[in-house]
Amino acid sequence: MAVAVKTQTLSPIKKIRSVPTEEYYVPGHRTCAGCGPALQYKLVAKAAGPNTIFIGPTGCMYVANSSYLCTPYAVPWIHAQITNGGAVASGIEAAYQVLIRKGKWEGELPNVIVMAGDGGSVDIGLQAMSAMMYRGHDALFICYDNEAYANTGIQTSPTTPYGGNTTFTPPGPAIPEGKRLFPKDPPQLVIGGHPAVKYVATASVAYPVDLINKVRKALNVPGPTFLHIHAPCPKGWKFDESKTVEVAKLAIQTGMWVLYEWENGEFKYQHKPKEYKPVREYLKVQNRFAHLTEAHIAKMQAFVDAKLKAPGIPVEIPVPPPRATA
Amino acid sequence: MAKEVTLSGCAAAAQAVKMAKVDVICSYPIRPYTAAMMELAKMVANGELDAEFIHGEGEHAQLSVCYGASAAGARTFTGSSGVGVTYAFETYSPISGARLPVQMMIADRTLDPPGDFGSEHTDAMSCRDQGWLMGWAETPQEAFDNHLINYRVGEDPRVMLPQFVCQDGYFVSHLPGKVTLPDQSQVDEFLPPYKPPHALDTKKPVSHGPQIRPDQGVIMDLQRAQAFLDVPKVIRGAIDDFNRIFGRRYSPFVEEYQTDDADVVFFIQGAHALTARHAIKHLRGKGLKIGLVKLRFVRPFPTEEVAEALSKFKAVGVVETSTSYGGAMRGGNLLHEVRAALYDAPKRPLTTSFMAGMGGEVIPLQEFYWMAEVLAKAVKDGRVGKYVYWVGFEQAA
Repeated sequence: MAVAVKTQTLSPIKKIRSVPTEEYYVPGHRTCAGCGPALQYKLVAKAAGPNTIFIGPTGCMYVANSSYLCTPYAVPWIHAQITNGGAVASGIEAAYQVLIRKGKWEGELPNVIVMAGDGGSVDIGLQAMSAMMYRGHDALFICYDNEAYANTGIQTSPTTPYGGNTTFTPPGPAIPEGKRLFPKDPPQLVIGGHPAVKYVATASVAYPVDLINKVRKALNVPGPTFLHIHAPCPKGWKFDESKTVEVAKLAIQTGMWVLYEWENGEFKYQHKPKEYKPVREYLKVQNRFAHLTEAHIAKMQAFVDAKLKAPGIPVEIPVPPPRATA
Repeated sequence: MAKEVTLSGCAAAAQAVKMAKVDVICSYPIRPYTAAMMELAKMVANGELDAEFIHGEGEHAQLSVCYGASAAGARTFTGSSGVGVTYAFETYSPISGARLPVQMMIADRTLDPPGDFGSEHTDAMSCRDQGWLMGWAETPQEAFDNHLINYRVGEDPRVMLPQFVCQDGYFVSHLPGKVTLPDQSQVDEFLPPYKPPHALDTKKPVSHGPQIRPDQGVIMDLQRAQAFLDVPKVIRGAIDDFNRIFGRRYSPFVEEYQTDDADVVFFIQGAHALTARHAIKHLRGKGLKIGLVKLRFVRPFPTEEVAEALSKFKAVGVVETSTSYGGAMRGGNLLHEVRAALYDAPKRPLTTSFMAGMGGEVIPLQEFYWMAEVLAKAVKDGRVGKYVYWVGFEQAA
């Protein structure tokens, strides 16, 4: 059976001034001031352009964006359950494949982009995301990571950092660090288990040109691709809403977030600091970490130091201690 | 030329789906419906059917893939059985709420506790209030026909609703029966191509499924409810066309057998109607005035037709084949619907229900004879002993 392949080439840009002025994620939504996920959405939509269909699993970018009669999407958009973004994208891509083949739809295969939060990507949405990657659908799955279930009132997710104070991991005398587990590694989950995937990258709202170019590259590469985008949440992480980009930058400067591309088995790093700042610098600007003791911060620093040696989960990752000695 | 073949219910369903020229199929294995997917997989592999055949990672994904594909403008098919049907439960209301005419075959299977693989209607009946059409086939022929009829009705612009096309596991899904396969030209005449009014199209951007406020939600609920009010008329039109094009004699909603002078009837849907007909032949030979009323669609429930049909009789025995634990009548759900439909009838028959075929057991002729005795006694006494009898586990009251 014939397979439709995109002929488009979305070209890379060099400077912020060459970013297209057209908006496909337009103003009028109800996200919080300083919303990192909204900022990355705007950049992704610009990068992808008009030949795009967004799938929006439930999450902040559904609840705060997609009010009836005033959604901000200037391209086709469809809601998915928080569980099934990858499956809905699979169905849309498959439909276009067969409709093009049978001559029932004229035009190029659209960019099919899932815009899922961390829960919709690697927690309740993991199964559908993994299956989309496994089956090799020509679609881009984006995990916009604000490191919590935010629209439900800031509950822990598998990407909430160790020590994060969320409404499901409140610190208290019995559990002084709040969150006791270390986070999942979404891009490594994708890279490690899906032969059809040839391009995976991380990005950050702090580096918009890098982000746009990674979106375009992901859309140009045939088959399934994955982007993990760091998107700080002022409300959930408890910092001033004017500091979103600053916090995102500090994450990279301290090694809490690493920008890289993985293409056909090769890693390439972007905006890698010559020297990393202590993790403490990142933690101290966010009140979600205000309760941490020196011992907790040292544990976090050890985790980051180990993780910076190579992509993926370090073997010497500290495991949560038994409750009695926490 | 139309030709007569011998097919199981699953194979018949697959033939219908092929002749409907479906675009996207999503599979996941669970018995007994799986046999239909195995047939379709072969058709795609052999190049007989040009469709995307997607291996879903579970039933929830099967329905989710079909939701996306249907929204993009593809005719879709999926299916399941038993706990597979309930695993996908989250997706049913979003699909009907989006007014996407996804078609799902259900070959019934008991829900767990563990490991009973017999046929029972509880899996599908648990999903009856999710905004999908629903009805059962008695034979492989009726299964074949129902798949085509449901695509036609579900995709009608006045309806735009998904359909559960049900057949009893094993009794229909795996027992071969005679099936008349029509010409492709007959199917093409009956079933126009799927043309969704608001497909996801980059040339005409629309947002599907935005978040609504409570005051906006009620309007959407009302529209879905009103669509169901229009369905009966669309079903009638489709059945008329179907009977004309394919030479069948279906009634749209309720089919009567040996009811002209009947005092008592069995009210039933699905495979066991076949055994009931044989039981009725025997009982008529013994002088009992008994007949059968078979339900073809339980959603939308044909309230007026059921009331009109059943109010002619002295006693009605509803054969349930599904559970409604703690329900008003303490048995299955069908009796609730029947009694509600009869409430305003000028003349109401006595009604009771029989929990029969539970766990996927055969309902032997002897059990139908026993049920007939219960009904005859009710007529004689002028009242029913109980609202629910677990057949095979109790004496007639």
